[in-house]
Amino acid sequence: MKRVNAVVIGAGAAGGIVAKELSTAGLSVVLLERGKWYTSNDCRKDDLRNQRTTLLGNAFGPPDEGNPRVWVDGKGISHIALPSEGDYQNNAACVGGGTLSYGAQAWRYLPQDFRMRSTYGVPAGSSLEDWPISYDDLEPFYVKAEYEIGISGDDSATPFRGPRSRDLPMPPLPVNREFGILEPAAKRLGLHPINIPMARNSIPYNGRGPCMRCRWCCGFACEVDAKNGSQNTVIPIALASGNCEMRTECMVKKILMDDRGRAHGISYFDADGRLQEQLSDIVVVSACAIESARLLLNSKSRLFPAGIGNRYDQVGRNLQGHHYTGAVGYFDFETYDDIGPGASIAVTDYNHGTPGLCGGGMLANEFIRLPIHSLDRLPTNTPRWGLGHKHAMRNYHKRTIVVIGPTQQIPTEHARVTVDASVKDKWGLPVARLQGNCHPHTFEIGDVQARRAQTWLKEAGAVDTSLMTSRPEVRPELIEASQHQAGTCRMGNDPRSSVVNRDCQIHEVDNVFVIDSSVNVTNGGFNPALTIMAVAYFASESLVRNWKGTGFRS
Amino acid sequence: MRTKQTSTAFSRRTFIKMSAIAGAALASGCATHQRSNWEFFTEDEAATLTAICDQIIPADDFPSASQAGVLNYIDKQITRHYRRHQRAYRKGLGRANQVSQQQCGKILAVATPAEQFHVVASLENSDKPFFELVRSHTFEGYYGSPRHGGNRNAVSWRMLGLDEPPIRGRSLYDLKKGTPS
Amino acid sequence: MMRFIKFVAVAAASIVILAVLGTFGASEYYTSQLGSGCANCHEMADYVGAVHGSNHRNVGCQDCHTATLSTKLRHIRVHLTHSWPEEIRLRDVDVVRMTKNCQQCHQQEYATWHAGPHSATYSQIFMNDDQNSKQHLMEDCFRCHGMHFDGSVRDLVQPMNTKGPWHLVRKDFGDQPTIPCQSCHWIHRPGTVQEKPSGRFSVTGSAVNGTLAFFDRRERMHFAATSLHIPQLQDGARLVKMSADPRQAMCYQCHGPRIPETGTVAAANHWGPQVGTGDDRTPTGVHEGLSCVACHNAHNENTRASCATCHASKGECKLDVAKMDTTYFNPKSIHNIHWVKCTDCHQHGIPRSTATSQVAGQ
Repeated sequence: MKRVNAVVIGAGAAGGIVAKELSTAGLSVVLLERGKWYTSNDCRKDDLRNQRTTLLGNAFGPPDEGNPRVWVDGKGISHIALPSEGDYQNNAACVGGGTLSYGAQAWRYLPQDFRMRSTYGVPAGSSLEDWPISYDDLEPFYVKAEYEIGISGDDSATPFRGPRSRDLPMPPLPVNREFGILEPAAKRLGLHPINIPMARNSIPYNGRGPCMRCRWCCGFACEVDAKNGSQNTVIPIALASGNCEMRTECMVKKILMDDRGRAHGISYFDADGRLQEQLSDIVVVSACAIESARLLLNSKSRLFPAGIGNRYDQVGRNLQGHHYTGAVGYFDFETYDDIGPGASIAVTDYNHGTPGLCGGGMLANEFIRLPIHSLDRLPTNTPRWGLGHKHAMRNYHKRTIVVIGPTQQIPTEHARVTVDASVKDKWGLPVARLQGNCHPHTFEIGDVQARRAQTWLKEAGAVDTSLMTSRPEVRPELIEASQHQAGTCRMGNDPRSSVVNRDCQIHEVDNVFVIDSSVNVTNGGFNPALTIMAVAYFASESLVRNWKGTGFRS
Repeated sequence: MRTKQTSTAFSRRTFIKMSAIAGAALASGCATHQRSNWEFFTEDEAATLTAICDQIIPADDFPSASQAGVLNYIDKQITRHYRRHQRAYRKGLGRANQVSQQQCGKILAVATPAEQFHVVASLENSDKPFFELVRSHTFEGYYGSPRHGGNRNAVSWRMLGLDEPPIRGRSLYDLKKGTPS
Repeated sequence: MMRFIKFVAVAAASIVILAVLGTFGASEYYTSQLGSGCANCHEMADYVGAVHGSNHRNVGCQDCHTATLSTKLRHIRVHLTHSWPEEIRLRDVDVVRMTKNCQQCHQQEYATWHAGPHSATYSQIFMNDDQNSKQHLMEDCFRCHGMHFDGSVRDLVQPMNTKGPWHLVRKDFGDQPTIPCQSCHWIHRPGTVQEKPSGRFSVTGSAVNGTLAFFDRRERMHFAATSLHIPQLQDGARLVKMSADPRQAMCYQCHGPRIPETGTVAAANHWGPQVGTGDDRTPTGVHEGLSCVACHNAHNENTRASCATCHASKGECKLDVAKMDTTYFNPKSIHNIHWVKCTDCHQHGIPRSTATSQVAGQ
């Protein structure tokens, strides 16, 4: 196969952007994706089989057959998990990655989120650290992501946000009933509610129409293509540049290293299962936190017996996601108007600045409310079955509001991805093995957040509330990485405590890059998609800047 | 004579036809013996399961679980995505009838609704894993997408006041404005 | 040696005879007794049973379903291996083919449908340069145009951009209808045989054709017209008087109003869906409260030949309503027949007697 300038592994949020940036800058690119190019037709709004509710399997990959993972419980016992099971910590495997089926909240992290260690110190037993780049370094790239991907919303009403050099390209969608109920309550509590920034067209943008206000965003692909992911924005541009070839259903086996310690390509299994080699000047790994770490660890060679970038045993450590907690409020009037997208209002007042707490998180109303989600979110005294349960469903399905939020996890180096040589996937590659948990302080923050959500709902007129918390004593092995997984190839200046440098370049191999959520030092108290995109633009820009036309010069 | 010949020829043709049909029928395993209307469950098992499901979601002015097609859902999925639960159902339904025999001296399907309630309530404690399995599957079949065999005519969604299919008009196609700058 | 050859020959001959008999039998099996043969395979029993309870009870399976020999053998294989799909349904090619079978009996309806826009073909809808250059084709197009199409929109049209030139990937679909009979008619509906409705304009249940049902692409199933929702529309803040005719619930599935959009007055005031947004044409003004099908023939969307059904005689003003200056008479008129109000012409107040006769006319 013809040698190319760059191989990008993974066509998700970051990989799509890297492919677009490199190919439009004139580099020849091969974009490899292990999944298919799915459309909404592959799920058709199936309540029971989508990317969020996987009772009958997931919709956008990976399939349950031949893609196991191993997870280790609190007692140290290993278990096999399939992609449609929660312990698998799945993100989608398809063109667009998680952005095909995400809810599309498009948050910027706050300036403090990049300086967690400086702001709070290091809780004992945690690996809390500062990013080597600041909010100000990333700000221009946040703008670029907001305009190229297409973000609507309005966060001007809160002082709890980073400075903006440019307004969002689209105004927010008109509000739904939950917004109307929650907004005055938040203001009475002295909070600063805002319209959530969303990667969703509120007006025609980029040749695609506005949202039709159905209630199926999170877990589903958009039928009117109003939700913006890499599959309908940057990847088509990359392909149209003539410099980028995308190969789907291709599973990368390993990164090939030469005798001088540089990568010279990758080997992969193509759609027909044949082993192929693709030679390239540089390799960009954008396979999401768990799979990126797995690929680096599986790429063992003479010079890198422990895998690429793993000289100091850092690859796969600091696995994190978000600890979701919140509350359900029950009202004596209809709160639900069936107009999507569900999530419409948020406060960022609680992300930082609470004495005694190391961070916090954003709180927002919940995304979608399909009947299948309400079953166990009824008032606490509801019978679990029988006529009482049915009546509670009838009473409360349209009379509840859920306020929930991603608490920023305090990372530990014990939460990690390794590879398990005893369990192989359908290509015969050792699978990812997940173990450990986030720092216990995370749960303390989460409980405070849940009570704050409860207070907000009571102020909004809820006659009854119940808390949504999950404590480590119930599930000591709970990683909560899945769609928001991050942190396994930490970005840093010190090669002994990080995997990549501030340009997402592996410390010890100058032509291998990891550009995705793996590099997130900490994961903010927000949905991470826009930050992943901004980092991808940031890293691509320095990559292109350092590209000398014939090869990569470090 | 002529008539007879015709008749013989006819009956021979009919005979071949009938044997061919019978052959095809036999080959397809559809001989006339008594068979279940279900893909997986026997009629007896289905009756027991109906009793349990209808206690989990009884009828009010909206249908019960079985009336809304929950059994159809479980029967379809247990030969597909939930194949791993086949044993649990076979055994669990048997145990449910044992409990029923002990408590009210008859199998669950013929017990009164009040008796069925008590049997199912005791299953919740004595046979927790099986009860939880049936409970989740009943809820999925009743409140999930109709395409999987349950929630007939989206009846549970209408019960909750949700329109199905929802009415959402589409925009007219003047999309010249609003391209990124 | 000879014995062995003889054995092989006999065995081969037996296999051939069995195969011939088997396939012949399978064919006979299908055609026998109005589908009772088909019903013997229990995965088909519900479908056959539904037809036997409907107005098509005297129609055999093969009168509508043309099954080739290979299809029949596939059915036998699927049955024996227990590998039928979760949802048994027709392929897109079978659905569009079936319109011709419907035509065999329903010639009048077919002709009306064929003459109107509801019979638009895939190339008319999806190869429209004007639309394709303004907006990316999307999956949602199929919700109303081509709801039976198996596959994604990119399997139908390429390239997927606004530059073109576009071509149909599925050339066989070019002249096939996007809204075939089964988009609005549910042949295998459960229920009982239905009597002919007594009055055409009745809005009670009996006038609703039992097969009238919307084919929802997401669930890949029909929802009966009587179970569909008729939205409550608003004209500004005012609630519009909506007809309760369940037949028009079908129309709203595709000719629906928008949820108020960003930047509109309705959105700023938190009003509900507005009359006339999106593809909605709910009447306000003099015709407010009328059902879509009071004036439109659903098969071809045309309005009925005359307004005389309601406006039997010339009103107080001695005018023929059909010739008034509205879009009914002249499509370029500024007075849209859906929204025309008395005050549009009577700008200095409505004569009292005229107002009464207008209301009576409804």
